[in-house]
Amino acid sequence: MDAKTRQVLCELQDGFKLETRPFKRIANQVGCSEEEVLKILVRNRDDGLIRRIGAAVRPALLGHTSNALVVWEVSAGRVDEVGAALSEMREISHCYERECPPNWPYNFFTMIHARSDDELEQIIADIFQRFSLGQYKVLRTVKELKKTSMRYFEAAEK
Amino acid sequence: MDEKDHEILQMLQGSFPLDSEPYRVIGDKLWLDEVSVISRIARMIESGAIRYLGPFFDSRKLGYNGCLAAMNVVPEQIESAAAAINQFSEVTHNYLREGKPNLWFTVIAPSNERREEIFAAIKKATGVDEIMIFPSKKLYKVKVDLD
Repeated sequence: MDAKTRQVLCELQDGFKLETRPFKRIANQVGCSEEEVLKILVRNRDDGLIRRIGAAVRPALLGHTSNALVVWEVSAGRVDEVGAALSEMREISHCYERECPPNWPYNFFTMIHARSDDELEQIIADIFQRFSLGQYKVLRTVKELKKTSMRYFEAAEK
Repeated sequence: MDEKDHEILQMLQGSFPLDSEPYRVIGDKLWLDEVSVISRIARMIESGAIRYLGPFFDSRKLGYNGCLAAMNVVPEQIESAAAAINQFSEVTHNYLREGKPNLWFTVIAPSNERREEIFAAIKKATGVDEIMIFPSKKLYKVKVDLD
């Protein structure tokens, strides 16, 4: 990664400013053109270094008050099928196959967001039936203790 | 939040316009002027509905490894354990959950050594001797897209 790109991404990692020309501000800070800032964003998005550009929301404040990490036991041969199907569900925000310690049989992790406990239970029951999965475990969210975005770039590297 | 706010949120959760005037682009699609788009987003940030607006990086492609970890803590120790865990900037998420283990957190570290260092420090500070770790094998989805 060249120095200019690193500088631009460093300036952007805390999010966009709410002003009419947010990228012009970055350009002025870094000493390049606004077009260059936009090109760097497009290039890194296309390369996958930036996986998404947009907003992160707090589900609870949007009425999704019943949230849970639900972990499932999915056999190795079926992980891709289940993963692809569950990724399509809007109520599911995170969907991972994970390595697990020996005393933990649930290898498939999903974060499910619902507007009520009943809705959450219904979603879980539907998934269970639809894929005739093995055992699962529901770990309801009690409290958010920390939620931040990682800062990957140090200003000192400028 | 009214209907227009929800429409803006939908667009922001999808793809942010990479344009010199991104809020004008959003406004043009929703029949709103640029200034009201900006003030509506500002309100949603203030209310907490939006917690971040910007790029999301792929930690792996930047040379970091991310890992979900969990440990079990007795109720009276949750606050102090959370403080011991949250002090690390490499810990980005930490949730108290029902069930056992009850504390679930993510660590994004530039090396395995650093990750182990963090786990060792947490164990020492909390007196908990087991941290379960769940490295990701395959990512199928990470995107909160709610309305």
